[in-house]
Amino acid sequence: MRRYHLVRRADAKLNRTLIYYAIGLLVSLTIGAILLWALGINPFQYYGKMLTIGLVGNKYGYKSIEGLLKVFVPLLITSLALSLSFKMRFWNIGGEGEFLIGAICASIVAFNSSGMPNFVTVVLMCLAAMISSGIIGVAIAALKVKFNTNETLMTLMLNYIMLYVIRYIGDTKADWNFFLREDSERPIFGSFPESAMMGGIPLGKFKLLWAVIIAVLLTAIVYIYLKYTKHGYEISVVGDSAATAKYAGMGVGKIVLRTMFISSALIGLAAALAVSSAGTISDTITNDVGWTGIIVAWLSKLSVPAVFVTAILISILQYGCQAAATQYPAIDVNFADLLQGIILFSVLVADFAANFRLIKKEDAKNA
Amino acid sequence: MKKLISMLVTAALAITSVFALAGCNSAKETGNGTEGGNGASDFKVGAIYINSQNDTAGYTYAHHHGITEAMKQVGLDPAKDLFIVDNVPEDDEKVKQAIDQLAGNGCNIIFGISFGYINAMEEKAKEYPDIIFSHATGYLSNDKNFNNYFGRIYQARYLAGIAAGYKSLATGNNNIGYVSAWGTEYAETCSGINGFALGVLAVNPDAKINVYEISTWGDQELERQAAETLIDTYGCGVIAQHCDSAQPQIVANEKGVFGCGYNSDMTKEAPNAHLVAPVWNWDAYYATAMKAAMTDPSTFMTTVGNYYEGLNSGLVDVSELSANCEPQTKEAIELAKKMMISGEWDVFSGVKLSFSGDTGSVTVEKTNSALVTNDGKEIVAAGGPSVDDGVIQGSMNYYVEGVTQVN
Repeated sequence: MRRYHLVRRADAKLNRTLIYYAIGLLVSLTIGAILLWALGINPFQYYGKMLTIGLVGNKYGYKSIEGLLKVFVPLLITSLALSLSFKMRFWNIGGEGEFLIGAICASIVAFNSSGMPNFVTVVLMCLAAMISSGIIGVAIAALKVKFNTNETLMTLMLNYIMLYVIRYIGDTKADWNFFLREDSERPIFGSFPESAMMGGIPLGKFKLLWAVIIAVLLTAIVYIYLKYTKHGYEISVVGDSAATAKYAGMGVGKIVLRTMFISSALIGLAAALAVSSAGTISDTITNDVGWTGIIVAWLSKLSVPAVFVTAILISILQYGCQAAATQYPAIDVNFADLLQGIILFSVLVADFAANFRLIKKEDAKNA
Repeated sequence: MKKLISMLVTAALAITSVFALAGCNSAKETGNGTEGGNGASDFKVGAIYINSQNDTAGYTYAHHHGITEAMKQVGLDPAKDLFIVDNVPEDDEKVKQAIDQLAGNGCNIIFGISFGYINAMEEKAKEYPDIIFSHATGYLSNDKNFNNYFGRIYQARYLAGIAAGYKSLATGNNNIGYVSAWGTEYAETCSGINGFALGVLAVNPDAKINVYEISTWGDQELERQAAETLIDTYGCGVIAQHCDSAQPQIVANEKGVFGCGYNSDMTKEAPNAHLVAPVWNWDAYYATAMKAAMTDPSTFMTTVGNYYEGLNSGLVDVSELSANCEPQTKEAIELAKKMMISGEWDVFSGVKLSFSGDTGSVTVEKTNSALVTNDGKEIVAAGGPSVDDGVIQGSMNYYVEGVTQVN
């Protein structure tokens, strides 16, 4: 084994990447097909239902699209936010925790908003979420700038702290706890009043939530911010080399703080949109976007348009896997997750293979 | 090499597109098929599970088993007419999406098995007036298409208590342990503990029931630790349980004491320890509900309504007594069971049963005696009637005499 070396390919060819992706996809689908066959299910039918997210023959197809978009919006915004911090090599893996803080603060506004105008409530929810998440993000960034703490550990631990905070809220029946449904003997989260529900544009039976429009606009804004502003340029310089940035006279600390604030605040916004669209909060409200967002950002090589496309594809994969599993009593969500995992893993391996190659040691000397 | 790669790519693309097309076609076929058919064969059942239908024990397993058995009884094919969304957390948004999926697939009745589905089911029952929504363990309903159902499992727990009581007499160890998900917070757990305790005390009036609360419905590690603590620290000789896994029984088996499982016959997990387990036969309810919904969904709430049956309908029962049980157990359980089925007597009343006599001549005696909490409050006066639906609808929040919570 010592005779072989992994070497980054000097040239990045789109063609090659696509070919490797296709092979990865094919391998994973074949493994899935074998498993499905073993369970006595026709894999062609199953994949068909997966790719069409169970729309064919569905009496309420428009609701599936609405459901898909509710999965897509938080994932897209979170992935964008994570790309921002990853771009300056700040390993923010606290998307889950930042999302939950935002969700909790937005819900505090929501549960106390009855009688308030809808627009005002939703804007206040977004602000509460963005500020609270942003402050946590800045706090972790400040520790890094000031004491050079490890941001990966700090953000990771934040996820668990916030998860247990929300579980505590959800499990504690008490007078102060306005999160819970009052008439229930058992603790259970209540529903938001009408004033806190996300509105939308009705298109026939289908309702296009404002959250979707906001998410699409946000993608454009982040794209412009990274590509055409001084801030965006600073982020990429810090990411390439903090020393260079310093030498060029940039305030590295300030850039890190500012970018982490924006990154966390965006995740907070995603949370506010998610709880408002759902009309409630729960300890599973994140739908794991803090984790999946990392995969999306990484597969997209931190490119904004690629994040948009990847987020759509992964949402379809997630939603489609569940939709297909529903139609087969033998298939449970664990299988759907397994299949998702195999597909993502294969694509990541393909991505790695497209960027690196294995060479013999002698060749390495020559190269 | 290049050629090989391009061939691979073409193959990959071709196969994926075939997958997609094949899926569309077959889906269309089934779509047409259902539109063409009519009558009862069109009936589809939807289910929302908290765990997986592929579980081999526990709460979801018991419900899934009940639903598939019931479908066979009423002439439906679980492989074709059953749609499941599993591993759905108690998160309104996820439950609503699950309901939309099931509704979209044409389900006529949707069962939700976990308490936390309540908000979503209430809301969606209004949105889909043609679908029957049936919710286990809840407390909400409407008069058209939304009911709740649960069973008097405390009756079966009383019977298991009898088995534990005889064991404690035989071993001379009056300490009995109970690993419980929750304590007095939930009427479901608390009425189970009380039912079990009264069963034990009917046989062994000196027994002491030590409850260890793990504060979660299921966590194998905690269940294990709780059972270990009850045995090692509190010297318990029988371990009963209200939690998802068989861990407490497995611990009892390892430590050479005895136990009463829950939900399924746990003798196979703990062959030398397990006595008897209170079990659910959910098919008793599911068959009733499906039959009513297939006949005329518009009268569902008058024919079935809110459903709270017990030993009488077979919804709850005890598993087969294992060889570990004391010889008198079987007769005593039969006697108590008969009295509950006939409605002559129920657990939480002002009348106590006591069992005496040897194998072959076990007798039961009724004495008037108040139902008193463990801090001395009288709930039912001596000779008074049983506290009724409060038990399953959620108002019981005390332990009876003889019960101590140790943590």
